[in-house]
Amino acid sequence: MNQKAFYCTASELVKRGRDNIPPQFISGAHLIYSSPATLAFNSPGAEGFGVKRAGLAVPGSVMLIVAPGCCGRNTSLISSMREYDNRFFYLMMDETDIVTGRHLKKIPKAVAEVCDSLEEKPSVVMICITCVDALLGTDMERICRKATEKVGIPVRPCYMYALTREGRKPPMVHVRQSLYSLLEPRKKKGNVVNLLGFFSPLADDCELYDLLRQAGVKTVHEISRCRDYDEYMTMAEANFNLVLHPEARFAAEDFHDRLKIPFIELTRLYQIDKIGSQYRAFGNVLGVQFDDREPAERASAAVAAFRESCPEASFAVGECMNGDAFELSLALVRYGFKVPEIYGTITAENFVYLRQLAALSPETKVFSNLEPTMLYYDGSHSGVNMTIGKDAGYYHQDCPNVVWNQDRQPYGYAGVRHLFEALLAAGKEVRV
Amino acid sequence: MKGLRKYLTPFAPDQSGAVSVLYELGGILVICDAGGCVGNVCGFDEPRWFSKKSAIFSAGLRDMDAILGRDDRLVAKLSDAAEKVEASFAAIIGTPVPAVIGTDYKALGRMTEKKTGLPVITVDTDGMELYDAGQEKAYLALFKAFAVEKLPVEAGRIGILGATPQDVSDLHFPEKIKAALKNNACNRNIICYGMGDGLDAVKTASAAEKNLVVSPSGLAAARYLEESFGTPYEACYPLAKELIPEDGCDYTGKKVLVVHQQVIANAIRDEIRARGGAEVTVGSWFAMKTELKEEGDLALKEEDDFTELAENGGWDVIFADGCMARMIPKFAGKFVNVTHFAVSGKLRQQG
Repeated sequence: MNQKAFYCTASELVKRGRDNIPPQFISGAHLIYSSPATLAFNSPGAEGFGVKRAGLAVPGSVMLIVAPGCCGRNTSLISSMREYDNRFFYLMMDETDIVTGRHLKKIPKAVAEVCDSLEEKPSVVMICITCVDALLGTDMERICRKATEKVGIPVRPCYMYALTREGRKPPMVHVRQSLYSLLEPRKKKGNVVNLLGFFSPLADDCELYDLLRQAGVKTVHEISRCRDYDEYMTMAEANFNLVLHPEARFAAEDFHDRLKIPFIELTRLYQIDKIGSQYRAFGNVLGVQFDDREPAERASAAVAAFRESCPEASFAVGECMNGDAFELSLALVRYGFKVPEIYGTITAENFVYLRQLAALSPETKVFSNLEPTMLYYDGSHSGVNMTIGKDAGYYHQDCPNVVWNQDRQPYGYAGVRHLFEALLAAGKEVRV
Repeated sequence: MKGLRKYLTPFAPDQSGAVSVLYELGGILVICDAGGCVGNVCGFDEPRWFSKKSAIFSAGLRDMDAILGRDDRLVAKLSDAAEKVEASFAAIIGTPVPAVIGTDYKALGRMTEKKTGLPVITVDTDGMELYDAGQEKAYLALFKAFAVEKLPVEAGRIGILGATPQDVSDLHFPEKIKAALKNNACNRNIICYGMGDGLDAVKTASAAEKNLVVSPSGLAAARYLEESFGTPYEACYPLAKELIPEDGCDYTGKKVLVVHQQVIANAIRDEIRARGGAEVTVGSWFAMKTELKEEGDLALKEEDDFTELAENGGWDVIFADGCMARMIPKFAGKFVNVTHFAVSGKLRQQG
């Protein structure tokens, strides 16, 4: 038995093409290996924002998880965070519930009991249901309407259907749609914009805020910055939505259909020149020319400072971080660093970056975190001396690691600058 | 309201219990789920996962697999993994999804065994029962599959059954129990099944002179070993003293409630009685085995069961996991935290 982790080089993958990706990189074709590097995939709620945490993004909301006990077990990780204290409740299903569906009748009463037990009435009650109800074909919209009638506050469904992870509408897409489904049509204001995509704000010094101001925008809404439910409801006044994460596309389309708010999509990038091109294209749509020289120069300076400090940096880049592993790797290679290893999931969208990467660094090895042979991963001769991403840190525990999966979202030039500042700090700890 | 939880997060489910029994035994463990259950089991309920590698996989079920009942796909995936991963057996562990679609585990096990050539055990957990039920099933399946040969009894060989991190809440339990038992010169070879000792120890379980059962989940397997090989067993927890704080508390004449898994709770009761406790009652959220139960002991199910019992029972002292303290603000007595991993997901602080 060959006890080695499977990988392909970037050039091998590109040679095979997008339509001939090895089955080892297709999650549905093999068992999914479970290691701390794959926790974010297997249990998105355990780290960062999964359905449970995301479902509570509406200010003042609480969540009732209606599911078998096993689905709510790791919620105590989240509920131990101060901001989620007293916001998670559970209605546990048993075998009889599954056979008879009687749990559905209990939901309105349970919602009422939860609301009565709280000192302050919640703004919304999110009902989180899981794979079991997906299979039972539960009409949770109807149950929520009944519960709304009973308690007099909005009750909305929130679907944590892991079974549909690779479907048309995976859970993280669905939850974004659920969150904004409470908004009602309002009179539009020409100088209001919503940022969609994340459940926590962009870094305060992100240049995007300034660029929007240059375009005449006075108010930028992010759900995570809304102080209360009333402020959240003003998101319906936006002139347009900026979609910063592809999983918010459905929500944006819903905005468009229901509230007649159009959207523009921007991608998170770490290549400074591409960030500039994207802003130029965005400016053209709005009919303005952005002045982004200063933030671009600061980002370039941060890259240069790191290069001077750690010229021999050789990276392993993982997918458990705020970015696309392939785009970030391409950026690093273009900045003059080596990237011997990437742990990532290949999609049609990131194949574009892989193609460019193959041209510049054909020998970069690409591993799939989820593939069974990752049990045998051995990074001792990889040449890696620095890592980005929680998964990459797990594989190379002796190398300085920048986890880069913080809640505050890095974006644009500021994202590049903060990343390289973090790398500089990590590199200084153990001189690369 | 029945089934509603306002204070406590759900306890460790049966599938987590099954995994904790099999974790260290060198098998391919396939959790028959869509991914979320594996994340819960490993990322939360298996504290060894962060430091000790194990071949745990998710079946990666998708909606159409469940709707069409594509067991053959799972067999093919498991067979592929068996070619790539060195393993002495495979285990398929159930979750709510196969429970809903009525997966035939026996058939699945047979098909996989035929295809992979590996011994395969299946545990029909459904995520709706508690960890101890899953542990009990896994212990039974394991010993029935592998402890089949009757070997001569080795004098001084003691087997420990029912020890998992979820039960004993302490990753150093194997060393501690071995040290404690070796104080008796007769106990020369202490085997802690599933925590420190691997599959070979299971295969030679019939050589044990005696089994000690440290949680109710080990009882069925102990009975099986007694019936099959004549190995006697005793339910006890020899480390109970370290669970009672040495804070000078005088238990003489006190009325005490102990809430934990039944074997540990009973051991604490014995210790408190030895210190003069007048009335000690055991309660548990988990299995209450008749053979270990005293009159007045209680099974707890709903949050209200505990709050009413704790606040209205006139207790002087309550031993329970610390996460339950906030449920009983009216309780005026002394609350002693006895960490139970299956309840709070926390390991005991090493003193």
